[in-house]
Amino acid sequence: MEPALLVFKDLSRQIDEDGRRIVASGQVEPGQALFVKGSSGSGKSTLLRILGRILSAQSGEVWLEGRPWMTITAPQWRLLVQYLPQKPIVFDGTVQENLLLPFRFKLMERKGIPSPSQIEGYLKKLKLPNGILTQSAKTLSGGEAARIALIRALLLEPQVLLLDEPTAYLDDDNRSHLLALLKEWMAAKPRAIIMVSHNEQDLLAFTRRHSLQI
Amino acid sequence: MDGFIPISNTQLLLTVILVIITGLISALLRLGLLKSLLWGTVRAFVQLTLIGYVLNYVFAWNTLWIIIPILVLMSLIASREATRRITRIPYNPNINTFLSLTTSTFVVGIIVVVLIIGPEPWYSAQVMIPIFGMLFGNSMNAIALCLDRMYSEIHGHIAEVEQRLALGATPWEAVIPYIRKAVSAGMTPTINSLMVVGLVSLPGMMTGQILAGMDPQSAVRYQFVVLVMMASCVAIGCLMIVLLSYRKMFNTDGSLVEELRSS
Repeated sequence: MEPALLVFKDLSRQIDEDGRRIVASGQVEPGQALFVKGSSGSGKSTLLRILGRILSAQSGEVWLEGRPWMTITAPQWRLLVQYLPQKPIVFDGTVQENLLLPFRFKLMERKGIPSPSQIEGYLKKLKLPNGILTQSAKTLSGGEAARIALIRALLLEPQVLLLDEPTAYLDDDNRSHLLALLKEWMAAKPRAIIMVSHNEQDLLAFTRRHSLQI
Repeated sequence: MDGFIPISNTQLLLTVILVIITGLISALLRLGLLKSLLWGTVRAFVQLTLIGYVLNYVFAWNTLWIIIPILVLMSLIASREATRRITRIPYNPNINTFLSLTTSTFVVGIIVVVLIIGPEPWYSAQVMIPIFGMLFGNSMNAIALCLDRMYSEIHGHIAEVEQRLALGATPWEAVIPYIRKAVSAGMTPTINSLMVVGLVSLPGMMTGQILAGMDPQSAVRYQFVVLVMMASCVAIGCLMIVLLSYRKMFNTDGSLVEELRSS
């Protein structure tokens, strides 16, 4: 068995006023997809947000390639373990400006902006026209915004993607393009995906998969 | 002070007419403001009378040992007043407000009094107290506006702030668009007043000086100094309040605090 890429142990956090909490442990190996399952309101999104350090856990620990998460600064961690919310968030400005936004932050500044061909490659794989780059991001449809948000995350070259219903806004064709891109992305380097999805197709698209019930 | 017309007690009593007019409108429309109006009128009269006596003594003594405590007291009252109306902020902003208000007012106030006006002695109470008072009053409103706007902007854009964090932003980088809006909200009224002054309104200070018999040319010079000093004081105050406060919206791991989410 390969050493795990991301391991989380006894992560817990209260999720409502009544004192209900989630407690979760699990792991993903490189090239693997972990599906988080559970009834609505069971804390699936909360778990992804904790893993992405957008929310703080009340207890528990996470390791990325054996390194405890608190030895990595929060902004650095968030780049390595990218969280994508279910409702895609885009900012004022063009799509291009949205894709390059993270490269204006101190942390990514010195890495240099991604090449146009890299961006165009992703657009092509997700069947988005190059002309979309100059479009105002606020005018994108839900499905377009979801794909742009995914490209923005991929350009940061994370090791783990935390995807909350990534195909919710997509029709069948676009769904399969997106899943194909995710598989290709995962095969290239030691990378993994943790996903919440209600769609069986999303799950079946990955050959190396396992699930976690919470 | 040639054209100065003093107001006698009888003349002062005639202001009751004005209070009655205001009261009638409030009663007519059932604004529920009658009690506040009466209480406010009494307070304003008593406070101003008292301060008149106090200032007489302070101007006569004219020593830093009296002036400094008065300025600090003014700052304390102003900072309490600035934050009293802002109830939604998930922490107590008093100390930060006091620091921003005091620093901005003292920095700008000292420049104006010592460098520009240059009275003898340099700390002349007759110059320092009114100048600092105007700065406190103006900065107080600006800081209150700025703080309120910062909080409501961030509270209204939690998903966006979290998305920026997820993209590797530091807390400061995550909130900077909202900080900009807040600082500009705090500064806008002062900047606007620079635009219309003299065309739409004669500001209070200038009006007072002209009524007190100063020639308009000199009053205008004073008023200009006052306006630009207010603008810079507001800029410093707003910048300080956001720098001191934004961090309170984040926990030690750099994610947004719980109180912001739940409120």
